[in-house]
Amino acid sequence: MTWLAAFRLDLARWRRGRAMLAAALIPPLAMGLFVWALALSVGRQPVALVVEDHGPQATIMADIIRSDQEAYALKGTNLRTAEEMLADQQVAAVIVIPHNFDAGVAAATATVDLTLNNVDIDFGDDIRRAVARSVAQFDAPDLGFGGERLQGGMSTVVPNPYRVAIAEVPLRKTNVGFIAYQLAPVVLFVVLSAGALGVGWLTADDTRSGALRFLRTTPASSLALACGRVVAAITVVCLIDALPVTYAAIIEHLDLARTAMVCSLVVLTGTVGVGLGLVVALIFRRPPLVGMASTTLCSYLFFLGGGFTTIAFLPSWLQTASDVVPTRYAIDGLRQVLFYAQPQHLALDVTVLLAVAVASVAVAAAGIASAS
Amino acid sequence: MLVVLQGTTFLVLVSLFALTGSRAPTAVINSDGSVLSRAFIGDLEAAHDSFSIRSMTPQEARSELDMGRIVAIISIPKGFGESISHGRTALVTVQVDNVDADMTDDIERAVPSAIVLFGDHLHFNGIRARSVEHDEIPHDTGYVQYLVVSALALDILVIAGVVAGSAVAREWETGAAAIWQTAGSASGFILGKVAAASAVGALGTVPPMLLVVFAYGVVPVHWATTVMALAGCCVLCACAGAALGASIKRVVPASALLFGLAIPLYMDSGALEPERFDGNKIWALAHLSPLYSVVGVMEDAFHGLHVTPEPVGIDALIMIAWAVAAFIAACLLASRRLGR
Repeated sequence: MTWLAAFRLDLARWRRGRAMLAAALIPPLAMGLFVWALALSVGRQPVALVVEDHGPQATIMADIIRSDQEAYALKGTNLRTAEEMLADQQVAAVIVIPHNFDAGVAAATATVDLTLNNVDIDFGDDIRRAVARSVAQFDAPDLGFGGERLQGGMSTVVPNPYRVAIAEVPLRKTNVGFIAYQLAPVVLFVVLSAGALGVGWLTADDTRSGALRFLRTTPASSLALACGRVVAAITVVCLIDALPVTYAAIIEHLDLARTAMVCSLVVLTGTVGVGLGLVVALIFRRPPLVGMASTTLCSYLFFLGGGFTTIAFLPSWLQTASDVVPTRYAIDGLRQVLFYAQPQHLALDVTVLLAVAVASVAVAAAGIASAS
Repeated sequence: MLVVLQGTTFLVLVSLFALTGSRAPTAVINSDGSVLSRAFIGDLEAAHDSFSIRSMTPQEARSELDMGRIVAIISIPKGFGESISHGRTALVTVQVDNVDADMTDDIERAVPSAIVLFGDHLHFNGIRARSVEHDEIPHDTGYVQYLVVSALALDILVIAGVVAGSAVAREWETGAAAIWQTAGSASGFILGKVAAASAVGALGTVPPMLLVVFAYGVVPVHWATTVMALAGCCVLCACAGAALGASIKRVVPASALLFGLAIPLYMDSGALEPERFDGNKIWALAHLSPLYSVVGVMEDAFHGLHVTPEPVGIDALIMIAWAVAAFIAACLLASRRLGR
């Protein structure tokens, strides 16, 4: 039972290696914090609303803007204060419904004035789109917030002066928020990073200390030693991820089958990480280099796998490149299981992940066996 | 080499993230082919960087949507142009792969704004209100172009910080610190490490800087300020790294902690947009990140943008204050660890 002895020894080393665990866990946890903080700047933009006309049409326009709480974090104020807030970056834009709005509506020349701090197009365009939709809603209520989905459920077209109506057909029955969608892959990043960095470090440490060379002189089978290391690492990464997986299962109300699928994806991703960690250790050998290379590799795998991006938005050559990134299948599979009623491509995701996990561990274990 | 690679990695990955901020890859199925339908497609393309439009057949569109290569399909029906010519309203169908609420919201806002452009261009009767925009800055700055500048600050933090942190921590890990206990001063020891790390950081900044200028096409509007800001950032980050290395005394944990801290410090620095837009509490917190003032100076140097309410001169002074504070902290920590 050489593998069991190696397994126990490695478990003890993992338990003592707090610095190693910290090194493995800090980058993914920081990434989780990054995603969470990012969610604060997504969606609603701080905008000041100045209503100078108190006629009925201006009131309708103001109510349309106030009701779109999904787009604006609105602060009602007067023009002078709004300008000060814009200059002081307390708001990104000022929307003014001018004093002659009602008269303008009667003459079909009414304007809503938008003054925008267009520092970058990301939030600038968000505000432009939101204001355009609010103004459209004034003359065409069905173009406003939620109108597209209503029109999608109707058999007749509601006329509007823009002469184009929208019927929106969402493809999924879901309402996944940005934070949940982006945080889910962090669960996989944790196991990937812990597996790669932990095993890489242990192996590099064995190489540095000469332990691998020493083991060559003992009757212990090299393959059994490699197996013990791999199983210990997978056990540890599973323990690390037990809490977030349990939390996700409770929050997303997962049934037993889906929970089992999430666990499988986590174990497979951890195994891929372990395999990659072994490969990195064989290439770089010195613990500091292995630590840095593993962190870099895991960052690439996380991003190119769609952990922090939506693959469809990437240039086509990067989309093609991401086809061979195993984390793409892990992240896609996890999101499918967690968020969508009818998961797609799940069999493909699991198959690819399983193949990569087995192949990377086999190659690395063979490498370790021959090195020792 | 690996540190420089990791630094450049951050730059590339941040710009990849920026790509998701605009131009949703969308298929248009134009079953009409009239002048008006083509005009509508033009307005979809012009609708505030909302769509990256690709004309497709229904089968191609469905296949691309299934493969995750596009996120929406807009179908313009046959008779679209004729309906509009006769004053009727045509129905456009939008299929959205609503993977998350944020992306769905963007598309739900973008299609009406394209319809508004369409109505405005054709001067239809019955439109009583329009929006009139006044921009504070005469030109728009792309999201990728904005982000890569702040990502340079992140690169420098990783490169100079990790080099300084590792160099200082290695002295204890290898036992060489004992030699420093018998010779030299803690401040001299830290000064040497910081100077070397700053020089390495400056050299390591060259590849990402070349990437920013030649690959992303971001040419600084104030070259002198840019060079000074980058040099100042190298010194600041080297001082911070040295302080961390002196406090942790182990190479790998110190490097990992710097990698880990780099992202939150970067996030809370106005890297994605002016930090005050996220509210006063987060803005106040941002002042705890040394990168806040660095990003303020660098966005001004590269794009001429003011992304902090504080004047750029104040941001530069805060950068210097951070560097001095980090240097003193590193000296004190090293002095205590060396038993002096």
